[in-house]
Amino acid sequence: MLLDVKDLSLSLKKNGKYATILDRISFQVEKGETVGIVGESGCGKSMTALSLMRLLPEKARLDGDINLLDENIAAYSKRKLEKIRGNQVSMIFQDPLTSLNPLQTVGTQIEESLILHRNMTKEERRTRVLKLLKDVGLPRAEELVNEYPHQLSGGMRQRVMIAIAMACEPQLLICDEPTTALDVTIQAQILELMGEIKRQTQMGIIMITHDMGVVAEVCDRVIVMYAGKIVEEGPVLELFQNPTHPYTIGLLDSIPKLGQRKQKLGSIPGTVPAPGNMPAGCRFAERCRHTMDICRTTVPPMFDIKAGHQSACWLFDEKGGDQDGVVRSDELETALHH
Amino acid sequence: MHALRFVAKRLLLMIPILIGISILTFAISNTIPGDPARLILGPKATPEGIEELREDMGLNDPLYVQYGRYMGGILQGDLGESTYSQRPVLNDLLRYTPATFELTMFAMIVTLLVGIPFGVISASRKDKLADQFTRVFALLGVAMPAFWLGLLFLLFFYLKLGILPGSGRLDGGMAPPDYITGMYTVDALLTGNWPVFYAAVMHLILPGITLAAVTIGMITRMTRSSMLSVLKSDYIRTAYAKGAPENRVLYGHALRNGVMPVITLLGMAFGHALGGSVLVESVFSWPGLGQYAVNAITYLDFPAVMGVTLLIAIIFIMVNLIVDTLYFFIDPRLKHD
Repeated sequence: MLLDVKDLSLSLKKNGKYATILDRISFQVEKGETVGIVGESGCGKSMTALSLMRLLPEKARLDGDINLLDENIAAYSKRKLEKIRGNQVSMIFQDPLTSLNPLQTVGTQIEESLILHRNMTKEERRTRVLKLLKDVGLPRAEELVNEYPHQLSGGMRQRVMIAIAMACEPQLLICDEPTTALDVTIQAQILELMGEIKRQTQMGIIMITHDMGVVAEVCDRVIVMYAGKIVEEGPVLELFQNPTHPYTIGLLDSIPKLGQRKQKLGSIPGTVPAPGNMPAGCRFAERCRHTMDICRTTVPPMFDIKAGHQSACWLFDEKGGDQDGVVRSDELETALHH
Repeated sequence: MHALRFVAKRLLLMIPILIGISILTFAISNTIPGDPARLILGPKATPEGIEELREDMGLNDPLYVQYGRYMGGILQGDLGESTYSQRPVLNDLLRYTPATFELTMFAMIVTLLVGIPFGVISASRKDKLADQFTRVFALLGVAMPAFWLGLLFLLFFYLKLGILPGSGRLDGGMAPPDYITGMYTVDALLTGNWPVFYAAVMHLILPGITLAAVTIGMITRMTRSSMLSVLKSDYIRTAYAKGAPENRVLYGHALRNGVMPVITLLGMAFGHALGGSVLVESVFSWPGLGQYAVNAITYLDFPAVMGVTLLIAIIFIMVNLIVDTLYFFIDPRLKHD
C-alpha cells in the first residue's frame, strides 16, 4: 500500500471559528495506480491534495492519519515534512504561470529539488535537469535551462512543472487540476505525457479534477467528493457505467455528450451547503430527489455495491430500504434515470 | 539595449525637470520679503549705499533678465558667488556636498540593513509578537520628528552615557584624511588611516540613525506589505512543495520578488533623507549642505539657495534613475518585453 488515508478531517479558521472543510475522508492509493478525485468547486478536493502535502494555512486543524508507506506523515514535524515534499511526494498545480517563480530560470527551479534532496555535484545536477526536460518532451533543453517562465507557452510551463515534480522520482504524484488552465489541444498533450510517465514509473498518482474526460483518460479508480465527504468510490469503468449515488448520477448527467445535441443537459437544483453550516444527515439530502427521513438525520456510511465499488447513500442500505418502503437497489436504475 | 534606451530617455527628461525647478526656486527666492543688499550692508547702511549695491548685484533688473543671466552663467559652469561666504557657490557646494552625501548614504545603508529584514520578519510572523514589535517600531520611526529624536539621542548617548560623539565629523583637533572623495570614512579607508576612520564612523552613528529613523519606518512597512502579498502567491507554495525550508523560501524566493516596490521607495527615501539632512545637520552641527542651505536662506543668499536646490534635485533624479535601472537587473521580464 502506497498511501492509506484514514479518517482525515480538516478545519479551517474563518471569521474566528473553525469550519469543517473535510470530514473523515478515507481512501487508498496503490503503487502504480492512478486515482481520480472529482467533484464541483469547493467540495474539498484541492484541500485534500494540500492536506496530503501538509501545505495548509497555519490556522488549519488536521485530524486522522496519512500513511505514506506505513509512516503517518500527519504527525510529522516541519523538518521531517521538508524531507518528504518534492522527494517522495510531489505536486503539480493548476496554473503553471503563477506556480513558477518569475525571477528564476527554468533550470534553477528544476535544480532546486535536487539541491534539497539529492547529494549530487553541480555537473550531475545539470545532466539530470537536461534529461528531465527531454523526458517531459521539451525541445532544445540546453537553451531552455537559461530561460525564464514568461518566455515559455502555457503547455511548456506545465511540462516544466512536471519536470520539477519528477526531479526526485517521487513515489506519489499529486496533480491538482493540471490541465484546467491549458488550451484543449495542450490538455491532450499533457495528459498523454502523464500517461507515459505513469507507464514508465511505478508511481501512484492522485488526479484532482472536475473534468470527467480527464478521469476517463488517465484514472484507474475514481473518488467522488461532495461538500467535504466522499460519496462514491469505484473503478472508472464501473463508476461511469453504473453510477449509484444520486450526486454522481447528476454529475455525469451534466456532461455534454457528442451526438446528443438536442437533449437538455442535466443540472442539480440547489447549492452546496456552506462549510460550518452542514446538515446533520446526508449533505446531499437538500438537493436529492430521493431524500428519505433517515437522510436528514443520519450520515450515511459507505455501502458496498460491488467489490471495490462503494456508495454513501441510504438507498443502498437493504434494511433501511425495506423498512421505509422505498425503492430497493435493484429497482434503482429505473428510478434514478426515470 | 533596452536598459540603455531607458537611461538615455530618462537623462533627456532631466533637462525640462531641472529648468522647471530652477524657475520655481528662482521665483520663490525672489518673492520672499527681505532685501539681500540691506542684509549685507547691515543696520547702519544708507539708502544710497543700498541702492548702489542693488544696482551692482543686478537686483533692479526685471526678474526674467536676472534669471536669464543666472542660467547663462550655469551653462558656463558659473553658479554665481555666495553673498554670505563671498566664495563661488560651486566651491562651497563641492566642499559641503561630500559630508551630506556621506551622512545620507550611511543612513540609507542603515535603512536597508534594518528595514528590509524587519519587513521580512514582520511579514513572515504576521500578527505574532515579532510583527507587532516591528510595526510599532516602524510607526514610531515614521511619526517621530527627526530633530526631536536627534535631541533625545544627544541627551542620552552623548550627554548622559557619553559613549558617542554628538557633533561634527571628527574628534576635536583631529586632522581630516587626505582629500580624495571628501567623504571622511571613504578617504580614511582608502589611505588606511584607521584612527580617523574609527572617529568618522563614530561621528556618523547618531546623526545617521536619526536620519534613518523615518526611512527605516517607510521601508519596513513597504517590505512587509509587499512580502505579505508575495507570500500568498502560487510559486511560494511550489517552493514549499519542493521541500524548501522556510528561510530558503523567504530569502531565496519571496524576497527578490517582494523587494521590487521597495526599490522604488528606496529612491524616494533617499530624497527624503537628503531633505531631512537640513534638520539633522543643524542638530548635530554637521558641516554639510543642509547647514549651508539653512545659512543661505537666513542670509537671503540667493545664488547659494539656487545652487543647493539644483544640486539636490540632480542628486535626487540621479539616484532615482539608478534605482529604476536596478529593475532591469532584478526582473528578467523587462529585458525581453
